Amino acid sequence: MEDYKFLFKIVLVGNAGVGKTCLVRRFTQGLFPPGQGATIGVDFMIKTVEVEGEKIKLQIWDTAGQERFRSITQSYYRSAHALILVYDISCQPTFDCLPDWLREIQEYANSKVLKILVGNKTDRDDREIPTQIGEEFAKQHDMYFLETSAKEAENVERLFYEIAAELIGQARSKDGSSAAAAAAAQRQSDGSSIGLASLGAKAAQSNCCGGLANAGGGSSVSNTSQGG
Amino acid sequence: MADDLPEQFDLIVIGTGFTESCIAAAASRVGKTVLHLDSNDYYGNVWGSVGVEDLVRLLSSDAAPHSTLRNGSYTWHDESGDTSTSEGDEMKEETGQQWTRETVLAMSRRFCIDLCPRILYSAGELVQLLIQSNICRYTEFRAVDNVCMQQNGNIVSIPCSRSDIFNTKSLTIVEKRLLMKFMNACNDYGEDKCNEDTLAFRGRTFSEYLQEQRVTEKIASCVMQAIAMCGPNTSFEEGMLRTQRFLRSLGRYGNTPFLYPMYGCGEFPQSFCRQCAVYGGIYCLQRSVDDCAVDANSNEVLISSAVTTFRAKHVVSAPRYLPASRDCVMRPHLSRGLFLSSTPLGNEVLNKGGGGVNILRLMEGVREAIFIQLSHFSGACPKGLYLFHVTTPAVSDDPAEDLRPFAMQLFQNSAPEFVFSSFFTLTTQSQPNKGGADDAIFYTDAPSFEMDFYDAIANARDIFGKLYTDVEFLPRAPDVEEIVVDGEDPSALNEHSLPEDLRAQLQDMQQATEQMDIQD
Repeated sequence: MEDYKFLFKIVLVGNAGVGKTCLVRRFTQGLFPPGQGATIGVDFMIKTVEVEGEKIKLQIWDTAGQERFRSITQSYYRSAHALILVYDISCQPTFDCLPDWLREIQEYANSKVLKILVGNKTDRDDREIPTQIGEEFAKQHDMYFLETSAKEAENVERLFYEIAAELIGQARSKDGSSAAAAAAAQRQSDGSSIGLASLGAKAAQSNCCGGLANAGGGSSVSNTSQGG
Repeated sequence: MADDLPEQFDLIVIGTGFTESCIAAAASRVGKTVLHLDSNDYYGNVWGSVGVEDLVRLLSSDAAPHSTLRNGSYTWHDESGDTSTSEGDEMKEETGQQWTRETVLAMSRRFCIDLCPRILYSAGELVQLLIQSNICRYTEFRAVDNVCMQQNGNIVSIPCSRSDIFNTKSLTIVEKRLLMKFMNACNDYGEDKCNEDTLAFRGRTFSEYLQEQRVTEKIASCVMQAIAMCGPNTSFEEGMLRTQRFLRSLGRYGNTPFLYPMYGCGEFPQSFCRQCAVYGGIYCLQRSVDDCAVDANSNEVLISSAVTTFRAKHVVSAPRYLPASRDCVMRPHLSRGLFLSSTPLGNEVLNKGGGGVNILRLMEGVREAIFIQLSHFSGACPKGLYLFHVTTPAVSDDPAEDLRPFAMQLFQNSAPEFVFSSFFTLTTQSQPNKGGADDAIFYTDAPSFEMDFYDAIANARDIFGKLYTDVEFLPRAPDVEEIVVDGEDPSALNEHSLPEDLRAQLQDMQQATEQMDIQD
């Protein structure tokens, strides 16, 4: 068993070029800017953080470029605990697209997902969106708000640590009113769905899988030559 | 649309159905540049899963030029004035939900309705492919709860595992022994195909073989209907192969040999597309192809879409997506029935805890159909509703008529409370599509009648093999921990960044260490 108490899935959305990948790389690797083409083959990044004495594993998913033509797969949003919607404070169109993104989030993401609005690139001196405007938009749509600079590493750590803290809080309260609480509950009850990756090895050993009403060693018939 | 896109690709894939997506992922994975287009605003085409609104739109509108779906019709049952409430509505009372057209449409997005539903063998081709390629990281599954058969007009669960067979009350001791013996014989057949006992049945039918095994009527129908999934004319070899497929998938996950993907089969094309994108593939939905031509000099395919003309060494397209393939005559191929019900099918035993995923294969003479019940545990519909899929090979252009005998079998004894019912036909090419240039344009096959994705994967492998010879099909994608990105701490070197010879050395060392551990 790996050494962590919770695993949370965080997904990023927003227009191309707002700095989603930079935020992820800055946080997980402390790098800026990302090497050219270096993200090829990288599906999500992982970083383990410690919040309130608990080890939390954050799985941070990037869009793989599918946002470019509004072609993000629905399944990208599934089972996300937190969703970071990013715009570029120096680029009005990226802000103007936020309602479109919200519509998509509404349609495909879990309704209880934790939503954070992030205005990135505070290092730029050609700001087009005042902080207040971003704040108001976030408030209207029931989202947390933060401005960051992936380049200057400003607020990036804070962003992810706050998400982690919030998700732990939700998971602990276990009132079932949040995605994180539901996930924590499911993790405990061993879940009813199966991931092939996690069970591939396990199944090979025990011939049956957890969480399902199993028939006590439902072994394959090849072992039953003495049966009957 | 100002594209700002490269205009030159190794491969352009048109349509995001299962087979196309699989090829796109495989090409991108081995470093080919891929552009993937679909004129729909959703992934999957006829292999996709849609919400109720989208389904209704697909069934009622004049088909898009590329569509292979036709003869659509649907009915909302709450509008017929049929308000008679039958007894035994526990499910409905429990959730306190009245399902009407309005309430269903309001939750349209909570549905993942497969246009072409499938059930996977736990040790089958797709499961193996997903594990082998590591694409399984995008998918979750529900173990199928019951594999059913019909017995005296009732639907009963068949015992699958050894303990099931021991515990079942529906078989006598003698029958249990016979069934075990038969299953063992099928298993042995795989190891020794020249076994004298079975050799005699070559070229005969599976049904004849079963009869000579002196199994009872009940067991014979159990094997024919649910385990081997055979018809009266299925050959002995085919029947044995299918039985083995069933047996080999037992005991891996859950209590039956089958899995259903959470949120529907439309997750598969999406998973392959995500993999393709992660390796640099470019995605454009809502993007149709206006023209397609082959450059006689360079032998490249020119694809014009909106204002841009793309060039590619190869093009893979779903049938009818390319203008040139629209003249191709499409014939009815699969007749589909799709029902929403507020009560599950079958008795309490089959629907413990609110009902799960149950499958039932139906036979009517030489014709067959597959029935799949999905409850909210599959993620495909909201709690309190059940999604019924029925699929049969089409014999006419009237899907409702094609499915009538099967619907009779299913619903005559236990009339579910239907909220919505619909029918449609999926078509396929009458003749294999021929592109302008045989070695540059390839067409994928329409969905065939099968449980799993064996045909589709074979089709994808075949086309991929023609595009790129001697290249591995969907090799394992490394996990993020295994990828060393440039600029990272050099002490974090790992296996995948090592040159071939060093890697071999490392493996030898690891093996040596493991052996030492064992000796300890």
